[in-house]
Amino acid sequence: MMIRVGDLASGRAGDKGDVLDLTLVAQDEATYELLSRALDAQSVQRELNRVVPGPVKRFEVPGLRALKFVLPQALAGGVYASLRPGMHWQKAAIWLLLDLVIDTGGGHVVSNANS
Amino acid sequence: MGAPVVCRIGAGAGFAGDRIDPAVTLAASGQVDTIALECLAERTLLPALKARAADPEAGFDPRLRRRLSPLLPVAHANRCRVVSNLGQANPRAAGRAIARLASELGCRGLRVASVIGDDVMGQREHIAWDRPVGGELIGAHAYLGAQALSQALEEGADVVVAGRVADSALFAAPALQRLDQGSEGLAGAITVGHLLECSGQLSGGNFAPVGGAMLSAEGYAWLGFPLAEVQSDGSAEIRLLDGAPGILTPETCTLQLFYEVHDPARYITPDVVLDFTGIRFEPVGHNRVRISGARGRGSPPTLKVAGFMELPGWIADCEIGFAGTGALDRARRAAETLRLRLSNRGGDDLAVDIVGVDSILRAGSAPTLAAPAEVRVHVSARCDDLEAAQTVEDEIYAMTLSGPAGGCSVRSERRSRIEVIDGYIPVERIAPQIEWSTAT
Repeated sequence: MMIRVGDLASGRAGDKGDVLDLTLVAQDEATYELLSRALDAQSVQRELNRVVPGPVKRFEVPGLRALKFVLPQALAGGVYASLRPGMHWQKAAIWLLLDLVIDTGGGHVVSNANS
Repeated sequence: MGAPVVCRIGAGAGFAGDRIDPAVTLAASGQVDTIALECLAERTLLPALKARAADPEAGFDPRLRRRLSPLLPVAHANRCRVVSNLGQANPRAAGRAIARLASELGCRGLRVASVIGDDVMGQREHIAWDRPVGGELIGAHAYLGAQALSQALEEGADVVVAGRVADSALFAAPALQRLDQGSEGLAGAITVGHLLECSGQLSGGNFAPVGGAMLSAEGYAWLGFPLAEVQSDGSAEIRLLDGAPGILTPETCTLQLFYEVHDPARYITPDVVLDFTGIRFEPVGHNRVRISGARGRGSPPTLKVAGFMELPGWIADCEIGFAGTGALDRARRAAETLRLRLSNRGGDDLAVDIVGVDSILRAGSAPTLAAPAEVRVHVSARCDDLEAAQTVEDEIYAMTLSGPAGGCSVRSERRSRIEVIDGYIPVERIAPQIEWSTAT
């Protein structure tokens, strides 16, 4: 079955300087297991690099059913250097994760829901 | 749940422009003994430094009077103390301004402590920057911890005003000297501070629950800001005032716990390195959550320093709208046209996209299925000087005469190019001082 990450977890994006950080909180234990399997750093990097540059580092906090993805180079130059309209586009960046689609059977990322 | 409550701290603001009324509501409730106001984003210091350079009595938050006029009388009447970093680049002058304001408001005897010592421009040779300083350094400020803020409170301050301090320290200061010995009390108090420092973002703001249900407009409009009852062992109950709109659950707490955190096992603050991996959030009622399990991993040998540079040049950020049948087609043609007109600019220095289609998430945007009634073509360009910025803006305006039909509602802004660089300074180089002012 294909399912959107945002149907399994809530999330929030933050920034510090060049660094974009994305947090997902899964709805329950099973969902956390599924997301941990599907959203390995490599797959997430492959999808996110369509929009932001650089590597992805993943942290897991199973006790809180949270996954963290940290992208140290994603916001090169910080929010003031952005060429997107207005300020603080990165608040929306969590949808880059929430809109990914995963295969619950194989437990891997299939695609961006929008592509 | 046995450990005694050592402070009841309210979140009164999470950024310089935050709402004024939630802090007044918390102060009036009688349910908090201290309110902390976080009013200093990293970059907010830059305009403050410029203001201070122009006027030695300026350089604090220009909203000081607007924010504190409704709050101080209520806080004073309810014996609620106020801690804030709204001193920005000039906490000394801010302290004097607050005492003057308190006098005007009839808060006689109100004591204001200014915490000084974050400005480390005079110690530049001791700062280790994490990359070369590639421009003129306008200011350098170290992130102070909770110690001096706490000392000021223990010495009887009604208001403590600082400049650059760790946001979490503002909220942890009232508990600091009342915690159990050992690292866990401190770790817990700073963690609670970290949760409260973004005000409404802990209690339902910027939160999309799975399934998509949001708060009502009334809920967002009158969103309750959180408060915490911190116990001596560093655990706490975090909650909203009864009846206040919002969502405060283990889920919203977890999202905020990890917000702008990198390694969850090693979140460095001036007072203690925090390990969040053992934290537990337990729902204990409607919009009430108990937190426990924060661990401390020693105190860091250095303090983080934020250095500010203004790079030469500007970013021109402009838009032109298209509406009516065929709006998207005309906008796309205008975008192509603008790319041709601006093709002398490198790809890294120019963005042309369509607001309503792909200007924010770019290649990660959902496809446009229905023809939008209106859209806007957006152009941002890095420009070496004001004349270059003007040239880009003129090209957008020229679309109204020489581009696809109906280009309208043109808007443009220019941003200076600010760069913030991180550095580190040995803790022993920093000796915060306290200066007092009293309302007469």
